[in-house]
Amino acid sequence: MSARIKDAEKKRVLDGAARQRRARKALEALEQDNFHDDPHADLVMSKKLPKFQDSIKSGKEKKGKRKGAEYFRAKYRKNFQQLLEEDKQQPNYVSAAAPPPKNPVRHFCAVCGNFSQYSCTACGTRYCRVRCLRTHQDTRCLKWTA
Amino acid sequence: MANTTVVLDNGAYTAKVGLANEDEPQVIPNCIMKAKSERRRVFVGNQIDECRDTSALYYILCFQRGYLLNWDTQKTVWDHIFSKDGIGCSLENRSIVITEPQMNFHSVQEAMLEMLFEEYRVAGLYKTTSAELAAFNYVADSEERTTMQSLNCIIIDVGYSFTHVVPFVLGRRVLEGIRRIDVGGKALTNHLKELISYRHLNVMDESHVVNQIKEDVCFVAEDFKNAMRVHECDKKRKEIAVDYVLPDFTTCKRGYIRMPGQPREEEEHQQMVPLCNERFTVPELLFNPSDIGIQQVGIPEAVVDALKACPWEAHRELLLNILIVGGSAQFPGFLPRLKRDLRSLVPDDLEVSLICPEDPVRYAWYGGKEVATSVNFEEFVYTREEYDEYGIHGLHQR
Ligand SMILES: [Zn+2]
Ligand SMILES: [Zn+2]
Repeated sequence: MSARIKDAEKKRVLDGAARQRRARKALEALEQDNFHDDPHADLVMSKKLPKFQDSIKSGKEKKGKRKGAEYFRAKYRKNFQQLLEEDKQQPNYVSAAAPPPKNPVRHFCAVCGNFSQYSCTACGTRYCRVRCLRTHQDTRCLKWTA
Repeated sequence: MANTTVVLDNGAYTAKVGLANEDEPQVIPNCIMKAKSERRRVFVGNQIDECRDTSALYYILCFQRGYLLNWDTQKTVWDHIFSKDGIGCSLENRSIVITEPQMNFHSVQEAMLEMLFEEYRVAGLYKTTSAELAAFNYVADSEERTTMQSLNCIIIDVGYSFTHVVPFVLGRRVLEGIRRIDVGGKALTNHLKELISYRHLNVMDESHVVNQIKEDVCFVAEDFKNAMRVHECDKKRKEIAVDYVLPDFTTCKRGYIRMPGQPREEEEHQQMVPLCNERFTVPELLFNPSDIGIQQVGIPEAVVDALKACPWEAHRELLLNILIVGGSAQFPGFLPRLKRDLRSLVPDDLEVSLICPEDPVRYAWYGGKEVATSVNFEEFVYTREEYDEYGIHGLHQR
């Protein structure tokens, strides 16, 4: 085998850092609301539409000193991370987290879902038997990067 | 006479809302949705019922990680809810009972007060949590004469963003004992999406459809290892394997489990997904979050951990009064499994008794109705006069 092919094969192996990154992404994906783009993103028209119903009516209906949604969006714009950092309550969000598990972690075959004892040497994906490893290698290995 | 109070159990997935003198709340999606088939409009809350094709539905939610952060979205949805298309009346000069998540952040509370008092002009508010309202309802429901002041119970709220275990001793939350597991309905749906997409066909854009698949096919295995053995055995497999017919939004608007045998004529052209162990490995995450790499114990161990923070004299009664509420508590098999796991974790001389109400989604709302119609409700209410004088700080000194 020539050195060049070896090199090429090496590149196709995910290193530890890449595998960790993948695992982290998988966890973040559990929290994701959408995996596709806004289907109306290309609409020019929607930009002209008033964003909030009340901005149409409020002028006529209520002459009070209402602030409107824009005001709230501007004033309360902190994201989750910022809220977490400034949280001074005790107990709080962090202390309420359920503790880490004591039992050994179970692994599952990505292809069929059975318990898994092995992982793909290239990408670390779990599999349970040769048949599932082949399916994984043929169609998914290093192609499935969500 | 004062205007009738509104009760709003403001969940991350649905808002349960209605006047306190009504028999039951409306359950309204707490979000804005966009469909690719209808480009001229968006769907706010229950307007989604008017949408014929909900494929690739795009969600704009008010909550992030379980907390109310997108206030412009929330305002749009509340404007809809408190209009004639929603519950049919505005909030102006009414009191409101409203829920927030456990351990809510200070600035989110501030935003909520400011919006309700200054934007919606409520007369007063009672801010609480779903678990507390569920506890109220539990007391009201109990046949023995339990009072709130004597109540020892554990509420498990299996929500959309996360699950909370909330112990109550003598009617008050034991804050040090509250435990959160970062698995709820959203994570379960997303996990099912990934399994189907990896194994069969790409449904990553189909939250709405996959959420229905989850509701239609998933269950909690009473004995997980045994269920896995059934799945691995080619002969027994058919006991749990099903084909799920996906909706095509022309002949069929909602998917369903195909009856065994020959496919019906109209099913010949419809897309199908074979499902087997996905049916129980998905809800299993509530019991073992580490199956997907979340480094937290599941509900049974979290209950035991919560118990440790409570006075030992209360343990016996706490374990006798475990109440499960929230949308994701509805999986078949949930109760027997939890009971079995808890039984193996707590000492033999302590009895374990679990209750899952008929309607775990609306259960907290009924508790809110109880509070709002109780004779001493006014003692709970933070009034607009108090707010105008002391702002949010007055609420926290109560
Ligand atoms: Zn396998
Ligand atoms: Zn691989």
